[in-house]
Amino acid sequence: MIYVLYIIVLGICVYTGRHYWFTLNRLFGFQRHPYIDIDTADWPPVTVLVAAHNEEKVIANILDALMTVKYPADKMQVIPVNDRSSDRTREIIDQYVEAFPGRIQPFHRVDGKPGKAAALKDAMELVDTEVILIFDADYLPGAGLIKQLVAPFFDLEVGGVMGRVVPLNVSANLLTRLLDLERSGGYQVDQQARMNLRLVPQHGGTVAGVRLSALRDVGGWNENTLTEDTDLTYRLLLGGWKTVYQNRSECYEEVPEVWPVRIKQIMRWAKGHNQAMVTYSFRLLLGKNRATLRERIDGTLLLGVYAMAPITLIGWALAIGVFYQGVAPLHGVIALLSLTAYAALGNLAAFFEIAAAARLDGTRKRVALLPFLILGFGVSIFSVSRAAVSQISDFFSGAELHWDKTERFRKVL
Amino acid sequence: MNPYLAVTALVFMVGLMFLLPLVPALLELRRKSDALPLSVVQQNAGEIRYFASSFRAYIHELEPTIRECVDSGTTATGTLPNGEEYVVLGRADEHLMQALGQRDARPMVITAGVDLFMPAEATFSKDIYAGAQFVGGEKNSYRTILGDKNVHLGASSRVLRWVHAVGEFTAELGCKLLGRISSDSLICLHGNCSFLRLNAPRIEIGRVDAIADANTQSYAVAARAGASRRILHDGDFEISAGEVIANDIVVRGNLRIRSGARVCGSVKSLSELVLEDAVSIEGSLISATEMHIGPRCTIHGPVVAEREISIATGVQCGSAEHPTTVSAPSIEIEEGVLVFGTLWARDYGQVVAIP
Repeated sequence: MIYVLYIIVLGICVYTGRHYWFTLNRLFGFQRHPYIDIDTADWPPVTVLVAAHNEEKVIANILDALMTVKYPADKMQVIPVNDRSSDRTREIIDQYVEAFPGRIQPFHRVDGKPGKAAALKDAMELVDTEVILIFDADYLPGAGLIKQLVAPFFDLEVGGVMGRVVPLNVSANLLTRLLDLERSGGYQVDQQARMNLRLVPQHGGTVAGVRLSALRDVGGWNENTLTEDTDLTYRLLLGGWKTVYQNRSECYEEVPEVWPVRIKQIMRWAKGHNQAMVTYSFRLLLGKNRATLRERIDGTLLLGVYAMAPITLIGWALAIGVFYQGVAPLHGVIALLSLTAYAALGNLAAFFEIAAAARLDGTRKRVALLPFLILGFGVSIFSVSRAAVSQISDFFSGAELHWDKTERFRKVL
Repeated sequence: MNPYLAVTALVFMVGLMFLLPLVPALLELRRKSDALPLSVVQQNAGEIRYFASSFRAYIHELEPTIRECVDSGTTATGTLPNGEEYVVLGRADEHLMQALGQRDARPMVITAGVDLFMPAEATFSKDIYAGAQFVGGEKNSYRTILGDKNVHLGASSRVLRWVHAVGEFTAELGCKLLGRISSDSLICLHGNCSFLRLNAPRIEIGRVDAIADANTQSYAVAARAGASRRILHDGDFEISAGEVIANDIVVRGNLRIRSGARVCGSVKSLSELVLEDAVSIEGSLISATEMHIGPRCTIHGPVVAEREISIATGVQCGSAEHPTTVSAPSIEIEEGVLVFGTLWARDYGQVVAIP
């Protein structure tokens, strides 16, 4: 039992060190933004896919925004991927198709496998451009965003691009404010540090782009996954393509405003991520592929982030068991390390990361909410662990993965 | 002490200590003093002309005054809505410009409907609008200039923020251009000028007579790239002199392209990228470190290096029909280079004079 605890504590320490490394890099290291200055070019044709499943509350906003972006209109085709919507999504899209002739080509999907990846896969029959951008329907792209996301594709090594997600409904309640801080840490520090250090920035599946030839090269969209973005990140990496992160390519999104929706969302992410971990971690770390050593290590650690939640819970149980058994190995050093494992509830390094992100963003007073993040982490650790347990039981029972759409909170136009 | 009371007191004290860090959090949650979404630039797409356009809108209300002053050949002064003082020139006034350019002069926004001839060794710490030609003396310092016709800076002058010329922009020897410089027709920089961000349909570094401006073929740089066309090479790589490569090339090492070679696709190197004499690249040219572009090379797509670029004389980047971007933290560029579009040195750009 004690050796299992050793391994768990070691794992927690590795992730803690990783958080600190990223944060210090972001605060003091060289920042890579290689493509952001490309503002004049022979811009290539681009297809913008807008994934929409029952999005009557938000679909009009993103189509409005896309119709006003600064990208040559004759080189940009918008395809709203209306995936089996039962609300007014189809009607709203068709109104826009009429209002902007030739600029929007709707894809109304009435049946087929549920899930974003399956819908995107079917929509590919309409795509003939080398550059594809993807947005979820609740996003609001700014005027310059399309050019910024297309620019990295002038680099032939780049297969995927990811922009920064910024919550719009921050002030709604405690949950939205906590998610705002989490997003800030995740993008401003975590993603950008991975970009700086040439590690593995993650494709987020929205505010994102993919090169058609790279997508085909790695087998297209995988409809058998709950997180097509993570899946794509690793298939691109294994196939010799890079995913790059553009911290200055920011886009507003809507975050969940109620805890049950948030819990469903994070459980879906956890299941999808764990799926990718099982599928790719061994191949990435030890297999024959074109990833560099640091990409292999970071990529594997990134695959393990959601697995750390149940592992930490097991670690707590073991630490308590060891304590009550009266075991004090290594003169109590293990107790100290267990404390680190306990701290993983609101891993101090993660707090540091989020505080640093708030500083980099130039916001000050919202940092005061940091102690409340313990609540967010607490909910996450149990939700993610629950997801892992249900995933394992689904594996043995043969149950299929279930895709949950994230509920929207914007008022209907 | 009553043990029950002691336990209660202990629980109370521990609870208080636990809640203490939450006090600022609770206050912030209630007050929502920092609860707005992060500011994301939605409408300004980072255009180089953004500040010039804003300034033009800002002085729009002075247009009737400028016309009146030009018609009557007079000068007018006043105060803008934000409290800044301005002077409107309706005729050339050498003495007034001399006075305004003194270091201890009261800073004023200068607007002119006639040609502006600025005295030498003067400092203008407020914005300048020139409705006609702008000709600056040597060793001047400017904050911003908006010119509706040509803008000409004398040798060793300095610009702190931006210049936009509807006509041509010219900077004589040794100018320091610390901000954004844009023109709707032509930017011409002479030897030893330093720069950061330039944008114009045509940017001439020194004399460019020798460059044949005949590259008007149509290229769709990223659009036609396909996985089957991409050569991915681990380690150093070299393309022989005169060789023609029909593919895109990604080299995970140093890359040297010998004289006269031609790549019909795009090129990426993870280390040093060297182009020898008269190399032609039809797509983009990207290096994860530094790049050295030899004399008389032609590159049609974006040119990007993550550390530095040196460009030798006779090089052409982009074309009139297909403008492009040349970008790196540090750019060293010899006289005799022609760029169509944007030349952007994030930290420092320097024109190297050729004797």
